[in-house]
Amino acid sequence: MQLPSLSELNLGLTVPALSLALWACILLVIDLFIPRDRKSVTAWLAAGGVVFAFIANLLVYRDPGVAFMGLFVADEFAGFLNIVVLLTAFIAILMSVDYLKRTGIERGEYYVLLLMTTSGIMFMNSANDLAVVFIALELLSIPLYVLAAFRAPEERSEEAGLKYFILGAFASAFFVFGAALIYGATGSSSLPVIVDAVGRALAGEGSSLLLLLMGSGLILAGLGFKVAVVPFHMWTPDVYEGAPTPVTAFMSVGAKVGGFAALLRILLVALPALTVAEGDAVAGWQTATWVVAALTLILGNIVAISQTNIKRLLAYSSIAHAGYVLMAVAAAGTPGVSDQATRAALIYLMAYMFTNLGAFAVAMAIEKDDGSGTSLDDFKGLGRSRPLLAAIMAVFMLSLTGIPLTAGFVGKWVVFQATIEAGLYTLAVIGVLTSVISAFYYVRVIVNMFLEDGEGDPAAAATPYVQWAIYLTFAGTLVLGIIPSLVTNLSGPVALAVASLVP
Amino acid sequence: MVQTEMYVMLAVVLFVLGTLGVLLRRNAILVFMSVELMLNAANLALVAFARQWGNVDGHLFVFFVITVAAAEVAIGLALIVAIFRSKKSINIDELHQLKG
Amino acid sequence: MEATGLSLVTVVLFLPLIGFAIMLFMNERTQAGAIRWTALGFSVLTFLLSLGLWALYNPDDPGLQLVQRINWLPDYGISYYVGVDGLSLLLVILTTFIMPVAILASFRSHIFEERGREKLYYLFMMLLEWAMIGVFVVQDLVIFYVFWEVTLVPMYFLIGIWGAEQRIYAAVKFFLYTMAGSILMLLAILYVGINAGTFALPEIIAAIQTGALSFPFDGLFSTQGLLFLGFLIAFAIKVPIWPLHSWLPDAHVQAPTAGSIILAGVLLKMGTYGIVRFCLPLFPEASVAWAPTIATLGVIGIIYGAWVSYAQRDMKKLVAYSSVSHLGFVVVGIFALNAAGIEGGILQMVNHGVSTGGLFLIVGMLYERRHTKAMEAFGGVWKALPLFGAVSLVIVLSSMGLPGLNSFVGEFTILMGTLGSNILGFVFALFATLGVILAAVYMLYFYQKVYMGELDKEEIRNLEPLHWSEKAALVPVLIAIFLIGLQPAPFFRSMDASVDALVRHVDESVPEVVVGNLQMPE
Repeated sequence: MQLPSLSELNLGLTVPALSLALWACILLVIDLFIPRDRKSVTAWLAAGGVVFAFIANLLVYRDPGVAFMGLFVADEFAGFLNIVVLLTAFIAILMSVDYLKRTGIERGEYYVLLLMTTSGIMFMNSANDLAVVFIALELLSIPLYVLAAFRAPEERSEEAGLKYFILGAFASAFFVFGAALIYGATGSSSLPVIVDAVGRALAGEGSSLLLLLMGSGLILAGLGFKVAVVPFHMWTPDVYEGAPTPVTAFMSVGAKVGGFAALLRILLVALPALTVAEGDAVAGWQTATWVVAALTLILGNIVAISQTNIKRLLAYSSIAHAGYVLMAVAAAGTPGVSDQATRAALIYLMAYMFTNLGAFAVAMAIEKDDGSGTSLDDFKGLGRSRPLLAAIMAVFMLSLTGIPLTAGFVGKWVVFQATIEAGLYTLAVIGVLTSVISAFYYVRVIVNMFLEDGEGDPAAAATPYVQWAIYLTFAGTLVLGIIPSLVTNLSGPVALAVASLVP
Repeated sequence: MVQTEMYVMLAVVLFVLGTLGVLLRRNAILVFMSVELMLNAANLALVAFARQWGNVDGHLFVFFVITVAAAEVAIGLALIVAIFRSKKSINIDELHQLKG
Repeated sequence: MEATGLSLVTVVLFLPLIGFAIMLFMNERTQAGAIRWTALGFSVLTFLLSLGLWALYNPDDPGLQLVQRINWLPDYGISYYVGVDGLSLLLVILTTFIMPVAILASFRSHIFEERGREKLYYLFMMLLEWAMIGVFVVQDLVIFYVFWEVTLVPMYFLIGIWGAEQRIYAAVKFFLYTMAGSILMLLAILYVGINAGTFALPEIIAAIQTGALSFPFDGLFSTQGLLFLGFLIAFAIKVPIWPLHSWLPDAHVQAPTAGSIILAGVLLKMGTYGIVRFCLPLFPEASVAWAPTIATLGVIGIIYGAWVSYAQRDMKKLVAYSSVSHLGFVVVGIFALNAAGIEGGILQMVNHGVSTGGLFLIVGMLYERRHTKAMEAFGGVWKALPLFGAVSLVIVLSSMGLPGLNSFVGEFTILMGTLGSNILGFVFALFATLGVILAAVYMLYFYQKVYMGELDKEEIRNLEPLHWSEKAALVPVLIAIFLIGLQPAPFFRSMDASVDALVRHVDESVPEVVVGNLQMPE
C-alpha cells in the first residue's frame, strides 16, 4: 500500500482544530511554571490559542478542501460552526477567570481541558468518517466529564461528573455499535462512500436495509444523548446544575454544536437516500427526527415551567432549543429543502450561542461563591439593585422566547421557514405553540427582576471579565437580531458545501 | 467458516446484555463494566464485518475504540474514586444531591 | 414603486427612536425635568411631521405613497418597505396625536412617587411610539410582524412596573395572550411569503390580482380559510373581538393612565387595521365567507360590552368594557365589505382612539385626586370643578355618539354600510343600533354618578384644580372631537381612493357575491 506524502494530507486545512489540541498539550507544560496565584496568565494563554485558531479558521474558511485522504473536511459548514465554537470557548474563558478564583477551584488544567474539548468539537464539525466522528466525540466528551466534576470534592459537582460520564459513555457505546452496523451494511466507514453503498443496499437484499435502519437509529440515539433531546435528556438538568457554571454554559452550547454537526453531516452526506418504503421522496429518518423534535419541544418547554433554579431552568430550556434545531434537521430530510434547512440549523445555533451564554453569564454574575444564589428568587429586585445587568438579562430572556429584534427571533424565523417549506406543518405548529409556552418561564425571570420587589440580599458587582462576557454576548444578540444579514451572508454557501462534499 | 451473521448475533446479544447492565446495576463499577461490554460487542461486530468485506476499515475502527475505551477507564475510575472518598459508597442510587 | 430616497415616513418612524437614544444618556436624578420635556418635545415633533405626511399625501392616488424600500434580508425576500395610503394615514396621525396626550397625562402622575424610574418610563413610551408607527407604515409582512411583537415589550413593562396592585398578573396575561395569538400569524405569514416568493405586501396583492398567486378556497376551513384565521385570530385578540377579550379589562384596570390611553387609543386599532390591511386583500374569498360569522361576533361584542359596562362600579372597568362594545362596531363595519362600512370603520377607529383616550384621561385625573376608581367615592364633581365637568361632558357625549361630535359620524357611516351590505344587512344594523342606545345608558349613568349630585363629600369639595399639564392634555382631545364631528369630509376624502381600490379588489376576487358599493353620504 502506497503511503500518502505529507503534501497530500493537506495539513493546512486542519490547522485550526489541530493547533488548538497541540496548544493545549503545550499549555499543560507551561502551566507548571506559572505560580499558583497567577493562573489568570494561563487563561490569557488559552484565550490566545483560541484567537489564533479563530484567525486560522477564517483563513481556510473560504477555501474548502479535504484533508487526511478524505477523513477530514474543511468546508463552510465546518468553518461556520468553528466560529460558533471558538466564540463559545472564548466567552467561556472570560467567564471562568474570576469565577474559578472566587470559588477556589483555580487550576491551570481547567483551561487545558477546555481547549481539548473545543478542539474535539472542531474535529466533529469536520469529521467525514464514522471513525473520526467517534474519536472527535470522545475528545469532546472526556474533558467535559472532568470539567463537570471540577469542583471536587464538592459532592454535587462530583455527582454531576459521574452522571455525565456514565450516560456519556453509554451514549458513545450506542454510537459505536450503530457505526459498526452501518459499516456492516455498506463496507465502509467513510461518509461519502456510504452514500453510494446505501443506494446499492436499497436495491439489493433486505438484511442490509435492516442493518442500516438499526445502525442509523443507534447513531441517532448516541448523538441524541450529546445534544440532549427527549428521550435521551435525563442527565441534562442534574449535570447542568451540579457542574461549575462556566462549564455548564460551555456544555450547553459546545456539546450541542458538535452533536448537531455530526448528526447533520451523517444524515445529509451518508444517509440522504435512506428510505423506508419504496418510492418514498423524503428520507426515512425524517419521521424519526420529526417525532423526537416534537417530543423534545413539548417536554422541554413544559417541564421548564416548574423549575425554580435558574441553572435547571436553562437546562430544560436548552433541551427545548435542541428541539428547534432538530426541527431544522427534520426539515432537511425533504429533498430540495436540505440546503436551506442546514443553513437554518446553523443560524439557530449561532443565535442560541450568544443568547444562552449571555444568560448563563448573568446567572453566574449573581451566583455566590459557594454555588448558591441560583434560585429564581435571587433575581427578585435585580432591576432596582443592578438595572443594567437586569436589562441585559431581560433582552436575553426575550431572545430565548423569540421576540423580534433579537437573535432568537432570527433563529426561530429561519427554522420555521425551513420547516414550512419542507411541508412539515404540524411540526411548525407545535414549534410555535411551544414557543408560547416558553414565554411563561422566560417572562417569569423578567417579572422577578423588574416587577417583584426584592427582599433578598443585593447581588455583588459582576467582576470585570464576566462583564466583558456579558457585553460581548449582548452585542451579539442584538446585532444578529437587527442586522441578520451579517450572519446569513456568512452562512450563504454553507449548505452547498455539504451537498458537494462527495468527492 | 462461521458465518458473519453468527458473530453479529453474538455481538447483539452482548450489546443488549451490556445495555441491561447499565440500566439495572446499581454499583458504579459494574455499570462501568457493562459499558465496556457494549463497546466490546461493537468491536466484535466491527471485526466480523471487516472479515466479510475484506477491508481494514473495521480493524482500524476497533483500534480506536480500544484506545478510547482505555482513556474512558482512566477518567471513569478517577471519578468513581473521588466519589468514594467523599461518600464512602459507589451506589448510584445514593447520588441524589441533585434532584431529578 | 421602488424608491430609495429618504421618505418622510421613515423620518416620522425613527424620530421617536432618536428621542429614545438622547434620553438614554440623560441622568435620571439631575435631569428628570429635561427627560420629561424631551419626551414631550419629540412626540409633538413627530405629530407635526406626521401632519406633513397628510399635506404631501395625494388623496386621488389609491396606492402607496411616500414609499421607501431597503433590502434587509434579500436571500429571504424581506425588505424594509414603508409607505402610507388611505388605510394607514389617519392611523399614523392618530398614533402621533395620542402620544403627546399620554405623555402630558404622565407629567404629574403619582406613580413616580411610588415606583420611581421615571426615565425608564419615558424610554418605554418612545419605544412604544416607534413600534406603533412601524405597525401602521410597514408594507413587508415580516417587518410588520417584528413591529407587532415589539409593541408588546414596552407595554408589558408599562403595565407591569407602573400598574396598580395586580399589575404583574395583568401584564403577564397581556403578554401571553397577545403572543399566543400572533405566533400563529407568523406561520401564516411564512406560508404566504414562501408561496409568493416575497414578503412585500403590495407585490403579493398584485400577484393575487393578476392571478399569478392564489390560495385555494373551497370552504371555511380550506387553505385560504385557515390562513385567514391565522391572521384573524392574532388581530381578534388585539381588537379584542368577543370572546377573546378577557385580557383587556385586566390590562386596562391595572395599567397606569398613560398606558390605558395608549392601549385604548392605538394598540387596539392595530387589530382592526390588520384586518383591513392584511385579511381582506390577501384572502378575499375567505373574508367574504367568514364575514357573517365575524360580524356576528362583533355584534355580540357590541351588546355584551355595553351590558357589562353598565354593571361596573369601577370607572376604568366601565370604560374598558365600553371599548369592547365600540370596537365591535368597527368590526361590523369592516365586514360589511363595502366602501361605507370600511371607511366608517377606519374613521371610527380614530374616533374611538380620541374619545376613549379622553375618557381614560379624565378617569385618570379623577383617580389622581381620590386614589380610587370606585364611582361611589365621587359625586358632585361638576360643582367642585365646573370647567372639568364641562369638558368631561363633551368627551362622554362624544363617546355616546351625539350628533355634531366625532363618533356620530363614524357610527352613522358604519350603520349605512351595514344596511347597504349584501352580506350583513338589516338585522346586523338593528343590533348595532341597540348598542348605540345602550352606550347612552351606561355613559350617562357614569356621568350622573360621578359628576352630578350634591356636593356632600368633604374630599370632593377640596378637589385639587387641574394642573396646566392636565389642561394641555385635554385641549387637543377637545379639538379633535369637534373637528372630526363638524368637518368629516377631508377625513373621508383621504381614505376614498384606497378603500375603493380595496373594495374593488375584493369584489373582483369574489364574482359570485356582488358586494354592493354604497355611495358616501354627502
